[in-house]
Amino acid sequence: MLSCKQPAQIGREQSGWNMSGRLKLAALFSIYLLAGSGIANAQQQVIGAPPEALNMKLVGASDLQARSAYQPTIHHQGDRWIAYIGHHGGSDEIPAPVNPQTGNAEPNGTSVVDVTDPSQPKYLRHLPGQEGKYEAGGAQMVRICDGKALPKGDRNAVYMLRTFGGAAHEIWNVADPANPVLVTRIAGLKDTHKNWWECDTGIAFLVSGAPDWRTRRMTQVYDLSDPANPQKIRDFGLPGQEPGSTGAVPTELHGPISTGPSGNRVYFGYGTNKGGILQIVDREKLLRGPKEPTPGNLRSPEIGRLSTSAFNGAHTTFPMPGMPIAEFAKDKDGKTRDIVMIVNEAILNECNEPRQMVWFADITVENRPMMISNYTVPEASGSFCSRGGRFGAHSSNESMAPVFYKKMAFIAFFNAGVRALDIRDPYHPSELGYFIPSITAATDKRCVKIDDKDRCKVAIQTNNVETDARGYIYIVDRANTGLHILELTGPARAVAGLP
Amino acid sequence: MRRWPVIVVAAAALGALSGAAAYQHIVPRQGEQKGSWQEIAWSFPRDGWPAGRAFRCRGASCGDGIEVYVRPKIGFCNCDRGVADDDEVDRVADVDLISEHFTPIQAGDVISVADMPGRSRAYDLKMTGGTRHAAIGIAVSRRCDLLVAVAHGKGNAVRVRREALALLGETEMTRWMMAAMEGR
Repeated sequence: MLSCKQPAQIGREQSGWNMSGRLKLAALFSIYLLAGSGIANAQQQVIGAPPEALNMKLVGASDLQARSAYQPTIHHQGDRWIAYIGHHGGSDEIPAPVNPQTGNAEPNGTSVVDVTDPSQPKYLRHLPGQEGKYEAGGAQMVRICDGKALPKGDRNAVYMLRTFGGAAHEIWNVADPANPVLVTRIAGLKDTHKNWWECDTGIAFLVSGAPDWRTRRMTQVYDLSDPANPQKIRDFGLPGQEPGSTGAVPTELHGPISTGPSGNRVYFGYGTNKGGILQIVDREKLLRGPKEPTPGNLRSPEIGRLSTSAFNGAHTTFPMPGMPIAEFAKDKDGKTRDIVMIVNEAILNECNEPRQMVWFADITVENRPMMISNYTVPEASGSFCSRGGRFGAHSSNESMAPVFYKKMAFIAFFNAGVRALDIRDPYHPSELGYFIPSITAATDKRCVKIDDKDRCKVAIQTNNVETDARGYIYIVDRANTGLHILELTGPARAVAGLP
Repeated sequence: MRRWPVIVVAAAALGALSGAAAYQHIVPRQGEQKGSWQEIAWSFPRDGWPAGRAFRCRGASCGDGIEVYVRPKIGFCNCDRGVADDDEVDRVADVDLISEHFTPIQAGDVISVADMPGRSRAYDLKMTGGTRHAAIGIAVSRRCDLLVAVAHGKGNAVRVRREALALLGETEMTRWMMAAMEGR
C-alpha cells in the first residue's frame, strides 16, 4: 500500500530528469492523483481481508443464509441463549433465498440461532416472512417475552412478537425455538416497525400503520399480557396524524422505548434521518387517559418534546435515567442526570445526506430537554464516504442488562461496523473500540447513480446491534453478510467491569 | 468594408439575449392568452431537503398570479409502493411550506410528471392574514426518490393545476427535473 509520502519521494528521485518546471509539476501532480486514488481504493473492502478492529474481537459467526438482517434480539431461554434475528425482504436478484435446511426458496423472515456457545452458533430455523423485496417484505422486528413473566401468559411458553412485513404483527410460541407455533396475528395494517413489549406487564407499543391515520407509522397500544387474546387499548401519535385532521402532517414514528410502571415514561422517536422528535410521554396517562384520538387527547400524556435539526432524525431513543455525573459530584443539585441517547439513521449511500450520528440529551428537566453532546465516526479514519453503501449511525443496543447499561453503548454504523462507546460521562462520550467485519462472497453491492449509470461497491452494512447479559455483542448485516458475535478486549473490557 | 465581423457580433449578442430570455422565462410570452413564467428566488428557510426552483406566472391565464415550487427529495422510504395514496401527498408535497393550514378539497388524481408516476391533490389554503388560496400538491416518485411540487394562487384550483402541470411539462423543466433526480 502506498503511503502519503511516496509521491514526494518519487518526485525527488526524478529531479535529475531533464524536464521543464511546468512538466515536472504536471508529472508530480499526476503521480499524486494516482497515488491518492490508490490510497482511496485501499480503503475498499476486499474478500479475504481480515476484519478491522480495536478492543473488540470476533467470537463466532453465522451467515444467516445470506439474508439481509435488521434486528437481533437475544433471549436467555432456560439454559440456552437464543438469538432471534428479523430480516428485510429479499433483493431484486434473489427475492427469496433458498433455505438449505428445507431446500425451498423462502421469503426472508426470522432466523433463530442457538448462541449458547457463541463460538459455535447453531442455525435452528428460518421462519418465512411476508413476500416482498427490501422494506416491503420480510419480518424486520422481533421481541421476546417468557410466558412466566407475562401476567396471563402460558408459563411453559416463550413468546416471540414479530412484524410480518408491513401487513401485520404476529406472536409465536418459540418454547421450542426450532419449531415455532403461531399464536395470534394483528393484521390489516399499512405498515409496521420497531415495537416495544413490556414483559412484566404485557403492555405493547406496536408501531403500526392504522389504515385511517394520515401517517404510515404511529402507535397502537395493546395489552398482550395474554398473547392469545390481544386487547387494544388505544391509538396514539402526534396531533395532525390522526384521522380527519388537516394541515401539515408531523413526521412518522420510528419506535418507542418504555421504562415500564416503575419509570412511568415512554420515549418515542419520530423521524429517521430528518426533522426528528424525541417525545417524552407519561405512561400512565397514555394507558388510562381518554382514548379518542382527538388533538387534545393526543397532547394530554406528553410531558416534553425535543425537536432535532431538520438534518437529523430520531431512530432510537434509549433512556438512561439517574446517571451519576462525576464532574457534578460536588454540586449541591443536579449530581445525577436523566439522559436519553438519540441515534439517527443514515439512509443514503456514500454520504448523499447530512451526517447521521449519535446525540445525548439531558432530560432531567423533562419539559426542557437539551442536547449535551454527540458522537460520530471520523470519516477520514476509514474513507467511509467512498467505501460504498451507507455511512452513518443506525441504531444502538437496547438491552438494559447491568453488564453494559449506563456504562457502554454500542452503535451500528453501517460501513464503519459497530462502535463501542464509553458513556459513563454522557457529557463527553468517547470511543473505546470498533469492529468492522470482513466482507464475504455473500455481501451484496450498494450502488449510486453517476451520469445516469449505477456505480456499485461492496461494503459491510452493520445494521443493528444487541448485547446479552453475558457481555457478548451481536451485530447483523443489512448487506447479507450475516451475524457476528463479538466480545470486548483490553481497556474496553475493563470499562464494562468484565474479567 | 467587410460586413461579416459585424454580423457575427450581432448574431452572438442576439444569441446571448435569447439565452437570457429563455432562462428568465421558461415559457416565453405568447400574446395575452397565455401566462408568463418567471423564475424567482426560493423563499423558504433551509429544511431537511435542499432548496429547489421557484416560478411565478402572471398574465391572462394565471389570473392574479400563480407560484410553483419544485424540488427533488432524495431518499424516500416508501421505495416499493411509491406515492400510494392522498395521505402521502399531504405529507410530502411541500404544501406546508406555503401554509400549515390546508384542507383537501377532494380526492386526488393519478398523474405522471417527467415519466414519473404519482398523485396530485387540490387544497384550500388559509394564508397568513386569513386570505384563501387554492393550492395543488404534486408528488411523483422514481425508485426511492421523490419529486414534489406545490402550486398556489388566488384563482380556482382547476386553473392552478392546469398551469402548474403545463409548466412542469415543458421540455426544459423536464430536463432539469431528470437531472435533479440524478443529483446533478
